Amino acid sequence: MTLSAYLPTWPLSISPALWLALALVIAVLVGEGLMRYLRLPRIVGYVGIGLLLGSAGLNLIPELPAAEWRLLVDLALGILLFELGSKVNLRWLKANPWIACTSLLEASATFFAVFGLLLWFDVAHVTAAVVAAIAIATSPAIVVRTVTESRARGQVTERLLLMTALNCIYAIICHKLAVAFMHDEAGTGLIHTVLQPLYLIGGSALLGWLFGSAFNSIHRHLGQHEETFSFLLFGMIAIATIVASTLKLSPMLILLAAGLIVRYRRQRPRTFLPHFGSAGAVLVVLMFTANGLAANLDGLRDSMLLVLLLILVRTLAKLTSVLVLARFSGINLQQALALGIALVPMSSLTLLLTLDTAAAFPAFASGLGLVLMSSIVILELAGPILVQMALRGAGETLEEKT
Amino acid sequence: MSLMPFASSRPLSIGVELELQLLNCNDYDLISSAPDMLRRIARQTHHGEIKPEMTRSMIEINTSVQHEYAALVEELRSLRNTVADAGRFLNIAVAGGGTHPFQHWSEQKIFDAPRFHYLSDLYGYLAKQFTIFGQHVHIGCPGPDEALHLLHMLSRYVPHFIALSASSPFVQGHDTGFASARLNSVFSFPLSGRAPFVLHWEDFERFFSKMTGTGVVESMKDFYWDIRPKPEFGTIEVRVCDTPLTVEIAAAIACYIQAMARYIMVERPGEPQEDDYLVYTFNRFQACRFGLDGVFIDPRTHEQRSLREDIADMLLRIADHAAELQAGEAMAQIRQILATGNGASWLRQTYAHEHNLSDVMQQQAKLWMND
Repeated sequence: MTLSAYLPTWPLSISPALWLALALVIAVLVGEGLMRYLRLPRIVGYVGIGLLLGSAGLNLIPELPAAEWRLLVDLALGILLFELGSKVNLRWLKANPWIACTSLLEASATFFAVFGLLLWFDVAHVTAAVVAAIAIATSPAIVVRTVTESRARGQVTERLLLMTALNCIYAIICHKLAVAFMHDEAGTGLIHTVLQPLYLIGGSALLGWLFGSAFNSIHRHLGQHEETFSFLLFGMIAIATIVASTLKLSPMLILLAAGLIVRYRRQRPRTFLPHFGSAGAVLVVLMFTANGLAANLDGLRDSMLLVLLLILVRTLAKLTSVLVLARFSGINLQQALALGIALVPMSSLTLLLTLDTAAAFPAFASGLGLVLMSSIVILELAGPILVQMALRGAGETLEEKT
Repeated sequence: MSLMPFASSRPLSIGVELELQLLNCNDYDLISSAPDMLRRIARQTHHGEIKPEMTRSMIEINTSVQHEYAALVEELRSLRNTVADAGRFLNIAVAGGGTHPFQHWSEQKIFDAPRFHYLSDLYGYLAKQFTIFGQHVHIGCPGPDEALHLLHMLSRYVPHFIALSASSPFVQGHDTGFASARLNSVFSFPLSGRAPFVLHWEDFERFFSKMTGTGVVESMKDFYWDIRPKPEFGTIEVRVCDTPLTVEIAAAIACYIQAMARYIMVERPGEPQEDDYLVYTFNRFQACRFGLDGVFIDPRTHEQRSLREDIADMLLRIADHAAELQAGEAMAQIRQILATGNGASWLRQTYAHEHNLSDVMQQQAKLWMND
């Protein structure tokens, strides 16, 4: 027997997973510290540490393999989207149509403001439309996570959740339409321009409905035991995510639709553990840290002005839309201000849409894709703070005193 | 500060105040949305009055001065609809019931008004624990001495009003075993209980100025008595009822009190005595704890019977007065409660069926909002 049989050989070969685990531990500790001493949301720590240790920062931790990163984000975002959907009461739109108006106005104002800005910067029409479509979405991950963490409830919180769910749906659909046009321009024929979005919307709605119905019947039969139920749900989210990818549908749309359908059909709300239990919570933390690790700030170096203007224009579009209709929809100016600001964050969902586009169009990847990625990094770091500030300002948070 | 003179009001006129709970539509916990609701309601014309209360998860509706059941229930329904519509517009559920079954008192926020902040500073956590929901019934009296007479005569029947309206069995997530656990919160206030046994307004004024002289109280509002005179309205105010689960029951209980007041004013069945109060807290406890099944000891004859029997007996005695007041439908409602149970039994049955207090609360809101 030689020494090498039981001692490690030098240099040590370390699995990259160790670095991620290490980053996770540091991120959680820093997140906790930020919360305790500065009363900042924990996510800022998760994303911030990822950013600091990753390739965009000190480059201490090698990048995660793309496939693993993607699986992680798909699962964690799936959980958060389903959670968001199941918190939102669509019937409210019927009782208060002004909220639907605000949502439509906010989304179209965002689209056209960003579209106009990009045209002014001489970006091609289709590309501008893709970016503008992506910019519609508010980060469901940051919104759900921050609302959960600050235990917020009230008009601003509920409208924020509802309007986020809606603008994510618009963004995913508009994005597919815009990408279809992009394909057309690349010369693949009109038929795909029509069929692709149809397949996406129809297929996602159908799967969402199936998933929601299956969920409802499972829940009816063994709803009471919270833990069993959380595990089952978790498995189902994984299945839905994987099936969706296999069928080239949008897993995001399916899970959001499923959550909405569960809530709509049951009529009875159901309180789940945040992120459906601690397994879900770990994935969520991991996702934010992984996002930080994967952050790309190249766009900031090459086109800082455009990045900043994009953020500014998008923010103003959302804020003014909410302010304009505030009175009719039954909130006061202070609440509208809070709601407008809370709609600003961007994170995983936007990132996935950007990466999907970049994968199909290399020119996008090296151009506006980078601008979007930089904006996402900024709004992923600032987003949780803005949401928390807004909800605090509206007097809707219930934070534990430490 | 001296007591204001007793205003005159039309005898047997009635007014009802109901404190209501505001709930979020996700888990049906209380939500601090009174300012949003009031802002929405202020933009509409409506009957009566809709006002803020101590914590921001409650609002109060007040009827105008009414004289009989039909018009009273009509106004209450219209107030209910105004509040329920505002709730639907804001995704807020509104419910009756004396307590919220699982709210946490420390999470309640005090409504931003000087008096509420003063009370909150004075009573500390009691003020937040005061997130309980009651029905107050005003009965018009021809004069101050008549008011005091009626007050002490009605005191004997306080357990009736408690048992009929009781709808607060659950507190902090548990079945307390009480039909009205709400009143336990009221009893922790230092100035709760019964009014002093004085039958003449000058004596009452003397009592009041002695109390203000001690610095303990500033106005009548500081007394949390079960029944108290309200000189500025010329009424006495019965304050022991839980907010019932529907406005119809609230109106019926108000008219039951009204018919009983007419019986007392017209038939003068004996004069109040200090010794009537010997059994007062015992009877009141029985009503809170056991509802209609509670034991009732007659203060004069010392006879024991169930509250259900005593109320049934009273319904017979006041039948003519009820008929005179056009309160036949209200009395039928009261008989219905005797037969099928009060709000507390409805809540316990619903819980046995739903196994979940959030779902109970949702059903309760549906019932109140008439969905």
